Amino acid sequence: MDEQDYILFENYILEALSETEKDAFETRLKTDSKFNESFNTYKELSSFLEHKFENEATSAAFHNNLKNISNSYFEKQKAPKKVISFKPWQFAMAASILLLIGFTIFNNFSSPVYEDFANYDSINLTVRGDQDALLKTAENAFNSKDFAKADEAFKSLMLMDKDNTELKFYRAIASLELNKFDTAEGLLIGLSKGQSVYKNKATWYLALSKLKQEEYDDCLEILKTIPEDAEDYKAAQKLIKKLD
Amino acid sequence: MSEKKIHEDQKYIDGLLKNNSFIIQAIYDKFAPKVINYIKQNSGDSDQAQDIIQDSLITIYNQANEKKLELTCPFDAYFFLLCKRKWLNELKKSSNKEVTIKEEILYKGDDAQELAFETDLFGEKQALFTEMFNKLGTACKDLLTATFKIKSMEEVAESLGVTYAYARKKKSLCIGKLTELVQSSPKFNLLNN
Repeated sequence: MDEQDYILFENYILEALSETEKDAFETRLKTDSKFNESFNTYKELSSFLEHKFENEATSAAFHNNLKNISNSYFEKQKAPKKVISFKPWQFAMAASILLLIGFTIFNNFSSPVYEDFANYDSINLTVRGDQDALLKTAENAFNSKDFAKADEAFKSLMLMDKDNTELKFYRAIASLELNKFDTAEGLLIGLSKGQSVYKNKATWYLALSKLKQEEYDDCLEILKTIPEDAEDYKAAQKLIKKLD
Repeated sequence: MSEKKIHEDQKYIDGLLKNNSFIIQAIYDKFAPKVINYIKQNSGDSDQAQDIIQDSLITIYNQANEKKLELTCPFDAYFFLLCKRKWLNELKKSSNKEVTIKEEILYKGDDAQELAFETDLFGEKQALFTEMFNKLGTACKDLLTATFKIKSMEEVAESLGVTYAYARKKKSLCIGKLTELVQSSPKFNLLNN
C-alpha cells in the first residue's frame, strides 16, 4: 500500500469521502484482496489504539483490583494448614465445648435469627478516580464492623456517585447492621428491581431484614421470590424450611 | 449473528467489565481451583497458575471492552478452556523441557471451544499490536497517543504545533506504518490463518 491508500482508509473510516469516492473504495475492497486485507488490519489497529488509550485509567484500576484479589487468593492457598496435637485433658475440654455448642444450636432451633444467615465477606471497593480516601475509609470501617462510620462514608460517596450499585448494596448492609431498616430496605428494594449483579443478593438481604425485625410472614414471601440460579438460593431454601 | 441465547453466566463478564470486586472474588473462588489443578498436573506450579488466570481475566476484560463478548455457554467451560490454551502456548514457548499433557475431553460444547479460541486469538493479537506499537518511531507514538487520548484532531494539532491537515495525514500514515509492521511479522500470519 502507498501513503495515499492509508489516507484513503482514514477518510473512509471517518466517512469523509464523497459518494463516488466511497463507491470506488468499496469496489476496490471487493476486487483487490491485498487492499482489503490491509484495510481490515488498519481498522483493527484503529480500534485497538482507541481502546488502549481511551480506557487507560479504568483499565489500570481493573488491573490493580484484580492483582489484589489474585494475590490474596493465592496467599490463602499457600498458607500451611496447622496441625494441632491434643493432650488428653484438652480432649475433655473440646468435648465439653462441643456439648455447649450443641446446646446453643438446639436452643436456636426453633427461631432462626439474622446473624445466622447474614454472612457477607469483607469488601474491596472499586477505586474510581479521586474518591480514593473516602472509599478506603468506607472499606476499612465496613471490614472492621464499624458500621456507623461506614454508613456515613457510603452516604457521602453516594452523593458523588448516586447510581453506583456496589455502594448502594454495601450501604444497605451497613444500615441493616445498624437497624436502620427504612434506609436499608429502600436501597434493597431499588436494587432487587434493577438489573445489576446485586439484584438477587438484594432480595436475599431484604428477606434477612424482615427476619431481623421478626416479620416472618413478609420474610417468607420475599424468600420465595429468590430464583434457583441465585447464589443464596440454598440458604434461602434452608431459611424457608425453618420458618415454615 | 445467530440468535444464540446468552448464558446467565454473562454476569461474570459484566462484573469483570464493571470491575466488581464481589464478582472477581467469586470467579476465583469458583473457577480457579480447577485451573490450578490442571496446570499443576501439567508441568506447572502455583505461581504459573496465578499468572495464567490473571492474564486470562485481563484478556476477557479487554475483549469485552473493545468488542462485544456474549457468553453462550457456561463461564466455567469457557474460562477453563481459555486458561488451558494459554498454558499450552506458554509451554510451547519454553518447550526446552519435556512436556507431558494429560489430555482429556472435558467439554463437548462447541460454543465454549469457539469462544475460548476467539478470546485467546484476541489476546494474542493485542500482545502483537502492543509489541509493534512500541517499535514505531517516537514521533508516530506521540502523535497516536495524543490523537486517541485527546480525540479532537484540532487540539492534537495545536498541542503538537502542527496544522490540522498535517496532523490528520500523519495519523493515517502512522497507523499505516503500524499496519505494515504488523502484517510483516511472521506471528501475524500464523494468527490470521
